[in-house]
Amino acid sequence: MSPNYVAKRLVMIVYTLFIVSLIVFAITQVLPADAAVMMLGENATQEALAALRENMGLNAPVWQQYASWLGHVLRGDLGTSLRTGQPVGPVMLEALGRSLLLAFLSIGLMLVLAIPLGIIAAVRRGKIADMIVSLISYAGVALPEFVTATVAVLVFADLMKWLPPTGYVPLTENFTSGIAHLVLPVCVISVILIAHVSRMVRSELVDVLHTDYIRAARLKGISRGTVLRRHALRNALLPTITIVALDVGYLLGGVIVVEEIFAIPGIGRQLIVAIQARDLPAIQAGVLIMAATYSIVNFIADILYAWLDKRIQYD
Amino acid sequence: MTTTPETPVLAIDNYSLDYDTASGVFHALRNIDLAVHRGEILGLVGESGSGKTSLAWSIMRYLPKNAREPGGRILLSGENLLEKTDAQIEAFRGRRISMVFQDPSTSLNPTLSLGTQLAEVLVRHRGLTRQQAWKEGEAMLDRVGLKTPAAMMNRMPHEASGGEKQRVVIASAFACNPECIIFDEPTTALDVITSCQILDLFVELQAETGVASLYISHDLALVSRTASRVAVIRRGEIVEQGAVRDIFARPQQDYTRELIAAVPDPAHRLVGDRVFETGKPLVRIENVSVHYGRRPFLAAITGRKAERVAGNNAISLSINPGEVLGVVGESGSGKSTLAKAMTGLNRFEGRIWFDGREIRNVGDMDNAYRKDVQIIFQHPDASLNPRQKISEILSRPLKLFGDASHLDQKVGDMLEQVRLPRTHAQRYPHQLSGGEKQRVAIARAFASKPKLVICDEITSALDVSVQASVVQLLLELQKTSGASYLFITHDLNLIRQIAHRIAVMYRGNLVEIAPAADIDSPDRAEYTRRLIEAVPRPAGQYL
Repeated sequence: MSPNYVAKRLVMIVYTLFIVSLIVFAITQVLPADAAVMMLGENATQEALAALRENMGLNAPVWQQYASWLGHVLRGDLGTSLRTGQPVGPVMLEALGRSLLLAFLSIGLMLVLAIPLGIIAAVRRGKIADMIVSLISYAGVALPEFVTATVAVLVFADLMKWLPPTGYVPLTENFTSGIAHLVLPVCVISVILIAHVSRMVRSELVDVLHTDYIRAARLKGISRGTVLRRHALRNALLPTITIVALDVGYLLGGVIVVEEIFAIPGIGRQLIVAIQARDLPAIQAGVLIMAATYSIVNFIADILYAWLDKRIQYD
Repeated sequence: MTTTPETPVLAIDNYSLDYDTASGVFHALRNIDLAVHRGEILGLVGESGSGKTSLAWSIMRYLPKNAREPGGRILLSGENLLEKTDAQIEAFRGRRISMVFQDPSTSLNPTLSLGTQLAEVLVRHRGLTRQQAWKEGEAMLDRVGLKTPAAMMNRMPHEASGGEKQRVVIASAFACNPECIIFDEPTTALDVITSCQILDLFVELQAETGVASLYISHDLALVSRTASRVAVIRRGEIVEQGAVRDIFARPQQDYTRELIAAVPDPAHRLVGDRVFETGKPLVRIENVSVHYGRRPFLAAITGRKAERVAGNNAISLSINPGEVLGVVGESGSGKSTLAKAMTGLNRFEGRIWFDGREIRNVGDMDNAYRKDVQIIFQHPDASLNPRQKISEILSRPLKLFGDASHLDQKVGDMLEQVRLPRTHAQRYPHQLSGGEKQRVAIARAFASKPKLVICDEITSALDVSVQASVVQLLLELQKTSGASYLFITHDLNLIRQIAHRIAVMYRGNLVEIAPAADIDSPDRAEYTRRLIEAVPRPAGQYL
């Protein structure tokens, strides 16, 4: 991995975020919302509205508004919420923290389950175990999260009363309760990820097990298990890194539904609230933070990949 | 069973192997009888699909699930391998019997260092610790002639050349002093000069250790150079076996005779030596260079100069009308790069004059140029669209460059021209054999009545006997059409048979161009002499 590659990827992230900021700003421009009306309410006088617009720079040309917004963003000021009058940055970042907690727990659970499932399916290809794993995967891919979430709440919270149905308790406040509230959402998200990743691991491993170098290792007298561990898994799991990184995109977007169902005040839920309230600075901040998170995760994945597979020589 | 010096190390006794397939039982091997003694090299020669590799898997006990063994025994120093448990076989492999594979770039794990892959055999079978195995590994790399063993241990496969990698594979095969080693085409994937060195290494280690060797190859010339005895296998049966001398001097079977005859022999020229009018070449290439790769990103923003990879370095040559110009060189020497530049598949710098016209860049290669310059690729599987019938494949150039009337008639004529039945028009490529597919590719190239046909390693993927017939076809087509050929190959024996002149390339440079009849003269460039020296001489000349 050359410094070239890292530098190039970093510049690409900046570039991507710049494009995202342009798009976000453009979208908020065409949204049917007037920041002045939002702040002063429907009954404000024309004079008051005009004064506020002038004050907020809303009469300036669009590109000036964009430049001023971007300038503030670069200095760490993501704007002030029109709804609450509070700075949106800290609110969104706090929400992102909750979402990331949910995401990392889900990814963790997924990795613990999906990789062994994929391996079992690949090693016992065509046998019962493979078919069961395939069935679970297809079910996971086919069922939308709002179905699995609703069923999960119905069964484990309403019927069995094992777990709290919805809500969020910070882990620092009450650890046990916090975890209990996280179990169902984490499981619901993991089901889809497991389906995805176990199929990926299975097909990659099946391919790798048919390569010449696996055969060569077996013919050197190395046992099945050692060949699987030392020779096959590393190569088969490499593409999984990319898939997991792409799934973070899903987690950030698709998790909105799960956060809504389980009433978790994550970034997805904050964004929904912001959109409903036409809170332009909050929407801009939320989307920008999500895009940045996604870019950084994919950057890390690419670096990790290049580090694990020395053949990759990006220029 | 006690072993005496007379007991063969490896004995295959009336062994048969079947595969259950969807379309019934396929008899891969029938009643095989072979024996390899200590210190002996037995050559097993056959074309693709003859079952020679199946036999290797049988011996190594590495058979697919649909394999059935209706009868016979495989004895390693008297012990029947068919009766061993999986665990016993696992302990045998790599310790008492090992294998060297065809392509070192696929038989080594790309994500593990060479040292790890060598040391693991020693840890597994000789009970060494990792540190001991690593030290021992270094000694072994030294023994197989690698100059910097310690550094090589730490390298990843992609950081070593093909020859270096094959030396590592050979080192792991010899690592536990096995009784028997199977060599499965160990030099096929390597360059001429490298494979010559690997062969020397093999002969040397074999003599030193006295290991019983089964040397599998499709190349009779190669086998005759190393083996003391040869077995010829065809369609799963041994048709003939005996001492190399006898097989070549007095082949008993027609098939063996065919195989011997099909091996290209430079002494047996297939084209007349013609003198071409100088000054009126069909193609003249002047200082054509091709560069690969873009400027690295950091270099671009910091303004640093970056080195580009040169595929071709200022190549100048010309081809006369009706001439066969051979281009030889090892892989990576720029042969195919030149072909791609001439067909507009690569950007190039420099000038190409074609039939009096100047071609400065890809944009100048218009329809007329493309009609006149056709290319045939190495792998017909990759160059024929698998979803198109042969009729569709062949009518495309007709529609593009000629008139599109009576297509069926013309496609049929084209097939006949390349000695294929007219009915093949209704088939798909996968329903044809490798040789037939390459004939279709040839017919397609000739459809536009080109003046220059570029043949890029077109016989490399074919068996010797098929290669001989394809080459014959090409020469006949040349007689009737008068087209010139740029014939790219790594097979020096073949090109010496069919080319008028031979261009030798090395690392993107044109070393020299010489008349084919003069290529082995001592006045040739040093690299050319080395190349000629490394080529296995045709069958029988070692005797």
